Amino acid sequence: MTASHEIETRLRETAERLLGEKKVDLFLGHEKASLPLRTTPLFLTVAADAARLAWNPFCSPNLAVYLPRLFRAPADAREAKTAPPRPTVGVVLKGCDARSVVALIQEHQLPRDKLVLVGIACPGMVDARKAERVLGLHEALGAGEDAHGNIRAVVEDGTEVTLRREQVLADVCLECRAPTPSICDIVLGAAVEPREAHVARRQAEELESRPADARWAHFQQMMSKCIRCNACRQACPMCYCKDCLLDQTRPRWVGAGTDFSDVAIYHLARAFHMAGRCTACGACARACPMGLDVRLLVRKLNLEVEDLYGYRPGEAVDATPPLSAFAMDDPQEFLTEP
Amino acid sequence: MARNPYLPYPARLEETIVENDAKDIKTFRLAFDDPAGAAEFQYLPGQFAELSLPGMGEAPFGIASSPTETGRLLFSVKRTGLFTAELHSIEPGARIGVRGPMGKPFPWDRVAGKDLLIIGGGFAFTTLRSAIVYILDPANRSRFGSVLAVYGARTPGELMYRADLAAWQKRDDIGVHLTVDKPDQNWTQHVGVVTAVLETLTPSARNTLAIVCGPPIMIKFTLLTLSKLGFSDDAIILSLEMRMKCGIGKCGRCNIGSKFVCTDGPVFTREELKTLPVEY
Amino acid sequence: MTEKRIPQTDLDRLLARLRQRAAVYAPAEDGTGEVVLAALSGKESVTLEYRNFRLSPKALVLPQNQTLLCFKDGQAEEPRLPEGETILFGVRPCDARALLALDQVFLNGNPHDPYYARLRSGATVITLACARPMSSCFCTSVGGGPGDGTGADVLAVALAGDLLLRAETSKGEALLASLADLLSDATPAAVKEAQEQVRAAEDPMTPVKVDGSAERLRQAYDSPLWEAASRKCLGCGTCSFLCPTCHCFDITDEVRGGAGRRVRTWDCCAYPLFTLHASGHNPRPTPKERWRQRIMHKFRYAVENFDRLFCVGCGRCIRHCPASLDLRTVLKEVGA
Repeated sequence: MTASHEIETRLRETAERLLGEKKVDLFLGHEKASLPLRTTPLFLTVAADAARLAWNPFCSPNLAVYLPRLFRAPADAREAKTAPPRPTVGVVLKGCDARSVVALIQEHQLPRDKLVLVGIACPGMVDARKAERVLGLHEALGAGEDAHGNIRAVVEDGTEVTLRREQVLADVCLECRAPTPSICDIVLGAAVEPREAHVARRQAEELESRPADARWAHFQQMMSKCIRCNACRQACPMCYCKDCLLDQTRPRWVGAGTDFSDVAIYHLARAFHMAGRCTACGACARACPMGLDVRLLVRKLNLEVEDLYGYRPGEAVDATPPLSAFAMDDPQEFLTEP
Repeated sequence: MARNPYLPYPARLEETIVENDAKDIKTFRLAFDDPAGAAEFQYLPGQFAELSLPGMGEAPFGIASSPTETGRLLFSVKRTGLFTAELHSIEPGARIGVRGPMGKPFPWDRVAGKDLLIIGGGFAFTTLRSAIVYILDPANRSRFGSVLAVYGARTPGELMYRADLAAWQKRDDIGVHLTVDKPDQNWTQHVGVVTAVLETLTPSARNTLAIVCGPPIMIKFTLLTLSKLGFSDDAIILSLEMRMKCGIGKCGRCNIGSKFVCTDGPVFTREELKTLPVEY
Repeated sequence: MTEKRIPQTDLDRLLARLRQRAAVYAPAEDGTGEVVLAALSGKESVTLEYRNFRLSPKALVLPQNQTLLCFKDGQAEEPRLPEGETILFGVRPCDARALLALDQVFLNGNPHDPYYARLRSGATVITLACARPMSSCFCTSVGGGPGDGTGADVLAVALAGDLLLRAETSKGEALLASLADLLSDATPAAVKEAQEQVRAAEDPMTPVKVDGSAERLRQAYDSPLWEAASRKCLGCGTCSFLCPTCHCFDITDEVRGGAGRRVRTWDCCAYPLFTLHASGHNPRPTPKERWRQRIMHKFRYAVENFDRLFCVGCGRCIRHCPASLDLRTVLKEVGA
């Protein structure tokens, strides 16, 4: 039995118990999707359904994105009178999901006392599109994990293809520095070694080493493929604003089309709003239907925040995010020596 | 070649009339720049048009004038948002684009020989003005039976088209009953909601079509009263308001069920509305 | 209509000939290992080894971003509509059928959309039949098929080494006639092989019950399954933007001073703001109403209005949904 399988069994028992004992009203997890190499979020309210829960290398979705809307405050006093009491929600979290939950708690979007967090240290999740690219013209009809943690896919002619895990893990998993949830009530499975710090920097450093016009060309080329679907924003747990700046019409800050300036401003604005808040979960890149490297800008901005303020989002729930605080000894050369 | 349906007819604001004491409802009289455009713009009461201001976009408004008022194209607009605020601030002579006419009008083909009960509330009286002027025109009046209009507003100062209302009340070929929620010391007519007036007047449902325009809450209670008075669902005609963009049934924004409010409506019978999901 | 053939080694010559008279789009690698329907400049390496493109060809008749009017000194003018022909080579049968659905909205009915009409009438569609559907494909359940020529001007089938071509419309006939020197007649054996290939492609597809979907969906309007299904929906727009029949759009003005333009851009009914009124009232306030609307539009309202499903079974929404929502599952639950 693989480690994942063992964890899956214990996860089902845990969810069944939490729901059965009414310790939670709702349990969020993952279940098998209709296509291989993927899972789909599962909203459980009945203990007996806990057997549907899955834990495997395809549990990529960041479930934290569904949490703020469960705790949205009523719009006014009249709505407050008829609003149902806030639920207690159980949710299974990987390292990245837990970082998102920490950041959301810091920003007062989630009440810690209404959450039961089941943490699982994550060895990395498979990027379905990467796996499909490796399979080329073959199509996986089924896929699972073998004893070595690699992915075994059964393709359309019945043959089995083994995909090395490192080859098909999501980019964001390959540079994950906090795979073990920093916040949880229940822990399942063993801790996982984080990736080394320099791996995360490598991509940003590589891009920075290119001359400015090459970097601009890279950015332009990426933006030329963006179709402005907003999937990156909708998938992001930290984009919870009811009225997004980029949708506003009074005034209209940015057009809805694919003119380069509109696309660029959309991504630049979102990146700046994510600086010091992005928990590097990769949900944006996963959601992007065009397969763009949506994290291009925010990756760099997060490193800037880390270098200037020694802060990585989502790792300590008691910490104050640096862009929400001011200390007298904050570095500020960029003000005096631009 | 057919005219590009997205291209507004160029027109100008000729005159602005302030309708209510709060000064947030104004009637605009527009004139087409090109007489050919004016000739193409053939409409019937119940239809609407999209008024266009470059840079501000467009918004749909029911046509308040009747086609029998040649050379007078009227729109009544309440100031609620960015576009309407801009409209309220422009001076006579300013350019406005007009796209239309759009939508299905009131069912004039069904009304021959029928009695009419016209019920309006608040700001929604615009297309009803168009309908009444149309009906009262000497060329049309004999086509219809008796006409009874009931129009309610919050206060006397909120009633629109007060000059027209006074003139109609002097006529003997139409009954016009006005009512307000809060009277002032000069008010001598009905006090109370429109449904209360209906229940006092108890108009007959026999061979009668009811046309109802008003805010959702008024419509809700008026429908109950009309049911009590014996009006069948296909004898009750309503006009729906929805968020619109293209106005020509393509952009999908105003759809309710399988219908587009801009092309299948905005005029619907109660019977038609009952087949639609309640997503408006 | 006789089937014609051309050896696949001559494909580049065929496309070069087409490029003399039109802007040609054909399947080519985009440099990241993906095959897209690329505008050919002559330098691309065209390939027939692909399943389907990520983006549907609808972008070529209904661009994401299209100028409707130009403003100058506060006056509105029509922009100059694009001239010239386009030839779309390698469109899959599902996507070609989808164009007919878009035609219902934009061309039929009064008035018709001149911008769409211009791009559409200037386009010649050469469909390439599918040899290997994906597990997310279900075209056979919604009235299509891997070798369906509906919506195509020319239907092509790739056999080992050869490409068979058959005109489906008079436009297609004229096109093939202009290429007569490059084409020969297909042998009966080749035609038979093509038919068998199509049949073999139909087999693996799992059927999805859509007969009577309009009526079943009407009855299921208030079913609790919409809430359960839509809880996962992020409102991300991926499904609508990739869908070959989704056509909802927004219109906005981009103006400074008296100059600028009125532009239409793709929109999505799953977006929370789609039906938001200026008053703040939203007839579809939660993901449940919006997701239900999506399914209803495609499988019920379109049937009521046009007697046609607005889904061609291309499977893009299933394959690319970040929450892996599968509308086939929902349809099954509604039918149950």
